[in-house]
Amino acid sequence: MKTVYLCEDSVEGILSGVYTAWTSRKGHDNVKLKVMGAEDTMELFCQYEEVKADPVSAEKVAKAIKEKISSEAYTVVYKSALSMDLDRADKIYRFLIYGFHIGSRITSMLQQPEVFEIFQMCRHIDDERHLLTGFVRFVEMEGNLLVSRIGPKNDVVVLLAPHFADRMSGESWVIYDDNRKKAVLHPANRPWYLLDLISPEWESKLKKASEEDEYEKLFQCFRKSVSIKERENPVCQRSHMPLRYRPYMPEFSHGLKDT
Amino acid sequence: MLIQEELSVQKKLEILSDAAKYDVACTSSGVDRKGKAGTLGNTENAGICHSFSADGRCISLLKILFTNQCIYDCKYCINRSSNDVPRTSFTPEEVCQLTIQFYRRNYIEGLFLSSGILHSPDYTMDLIYQTLKKLREEYHFHGYIHVKAIPGADPVLIEKTGFLADRMSINLELPTAEGLKKLAPGKSRSKILTPMKQIQRGITANRFELMEYKKAPSFVPAGQSTQMIVGATPENDFQMMMVAEALYQKYDLKRVFYSAFVPVNQDINLPALPGGPPLLREHRLYQADWLMRFYGFQAGELLSEDRPNFNTLLDPKCDWALRHLELFPVEVNLADYFTLLRVPGMGVKSAKRIIAARKNGPLDFDALKRIGVVLKRAIYFITCSGKMMYPVKINEDYICSHLIGDEKKKVWDISSSGTYRQISLFDTINVPTLTAAGGL
Repeated sequence: MKTVYLCEDSVEGILSGVYTAWTSRKGHDNVKLKVMGAEDTMELFCQYEEVKADPVSAEKVAKAIKEKISSEAYTVVYKSALSMDLDRADKIYRFLIYGFHIGSRITSMLQQPEVFEIFQMCRHIDDERHLLTGFVRFVEMEGNLLVSRIGPKNDVVVLLAPHFADRMSGESWVIYDDNRKKAVLHPANRPWYLLDLISPEWESKLKKASEEDEYEKLFQCFRKSVSIKERENPVCQRSHMPLRYRPYMPEFSHGLKDT
Repeated sequence: MLIQEELSVQKKLEILSDAAKYDVACTSSGVDRKGKAGTLGNTENAGICHSFSADGRCISLLKILFTNQCIYDCKYCINRSSNDVPRTSFTPEEVCQLTIQFYRRNYIEGLFLSSGILHSPDYTMDLIYQTLKKLREEYHFHGYIHVKAIPGADPVLIEKTGFLADRMSINLELPTAEGLKKLAPGKSRSKILTPMKQIQRGITANRFELMEYKKAPSFVPAGQSTQMIVGATPENDFQMMMVAEALYQKYDLKRVFYSAFVPVNQDINLPALPGGPPLLREHRLYQADWLMRFYGFQAGELLSEDRPNFNTLLDPKCDWALRHLELFPVEVNLADYFTLLRVPGMGVKSAKRIIAARKNGPLDFDALKRIGVVLKRAIYFITCSGKMMYPVKINEDYICSHLIGDEKKKVWDISSSGTYRQISLFDTINVPTLTAAGGL
């Protein structure tokens, strides 16, 4: 009978799941990993087992990946764990089976379907992260605090934070992930940290601050005047800046399209 | 001329960004600079787009003119001195404030500062220099700055500005000296090329300096770029590409931008363009530009004196491949990197991935698809382990008719050869003039 290991939805949780499944010695074909909380139909003829996130076993797996495969493989696994893909945990497991077998060459072996799956998840995450480095919008609140709200598909907020920490080291800022209700906080001239944050009241505060920000209006007017009417091309615009990013951007507060 | 003195910043921004919008360069790429603790700004090599305007172009820099007052009377320019438009000017303080505040909110990646010529080139260049100096030294801004070098300005001023900017550009505007003389009487070819040469020398000298002293200030680290207007003068694509190639080789330019001519003025010397700006032509020029910069093509391979314009229905690479079928099909598992790069449907990324992946075993078509090769175009030109995906005739007409849909092909037949012929079912379509006549 197949055993499905339910791991917690975090890098640590998934790596703990990998550890438990691997050391169960049931055979790779007889185990499956799944992330807890994902709305998914349960399988028949399976035994479900929950795995608690355990820093010690996660660290063991991380160390093994770095030493026996490569640090690049670890980066890839870490990123995939942040993916939106529902099967990410199992895909990481399948990737590691090959990885431990083949070694550092694994990351370029795109002809292997297991590797390609990981590659695809990473590409999606990297693309979204890159777009968001441009599309994040800060609103100035009292006390020079800059606050931004994003709604990414993948859990990119931790990948985004180093970029802004380097860029705006002297500023206090917050990036809040609306879908996962967590935020990165960066106090001026200090390191950033991750925080779970559920509070509806500061969202209304954010909205009010956004209405009062005069530079928002200036930017809206700049965007409008810099566009060339004779070349209008909404399809091109949409392919570069998909609609799903726009609700979080002040320049589209009037509606999702420029008309 | 209407000079407005007491305008709000918003009104000024409206006028001066509207006046700057015909400049295409909005890239923020070419230099990787880490942030400095406690200050604002860093740069990324790939560049970051922050928004996209309704015309689909990226907004990455705060693109403004310092002033739209100008002593020149260039026919194509909205700010020509004989135009009756509201004139205004920023102060250095206003430019700095806008840049910093926009940057903090992550609206922009940096500043793009250009200007009309106020009083004299020297005077204008000095204004730009003072603004950058303030932004860098008083406001400690470490983000990206792209600045225009004013043709005819004092070399000392240009050099001083270059040490503050990331990228500098001087617009060539028109590919030939005659065109320039006709449409931009105030400018001359040599006035434009002299500062371009100066900046190139500065960059090369600085590179050596940086090798010896790591702390030496960097001069225009992201290189220089230029822009040519497409379709305002009768030059053909071949001439444009030859000029671009010469600029890349002789002047070490990072980028040449092409800007489809948008008629903003009525002038006897300007074309009418009833079909709107020549966007397709601009697109083909950019495609060819990429082929020259990243794919190892030369302008002479893509076009020639007898075929001076790009094919409107096929991209330049497919077009080239069709004329060189003797080089195909290419074996994906054996061909070297540069051969792979020349296959339609393969790009720099997929070629690199192929090289890395095939070390671990042969690739099949499924793997190529995963790697990111556009099989739609590539299948006519490649084999995997000696086999093609489908039985394909290596025949120009056959491949051409598959590459472009029947409908488009009809249009192309009509427009390129002039010999219109009814296409019937069961009829092999023979296009003898395929190589001789390109494009419109």
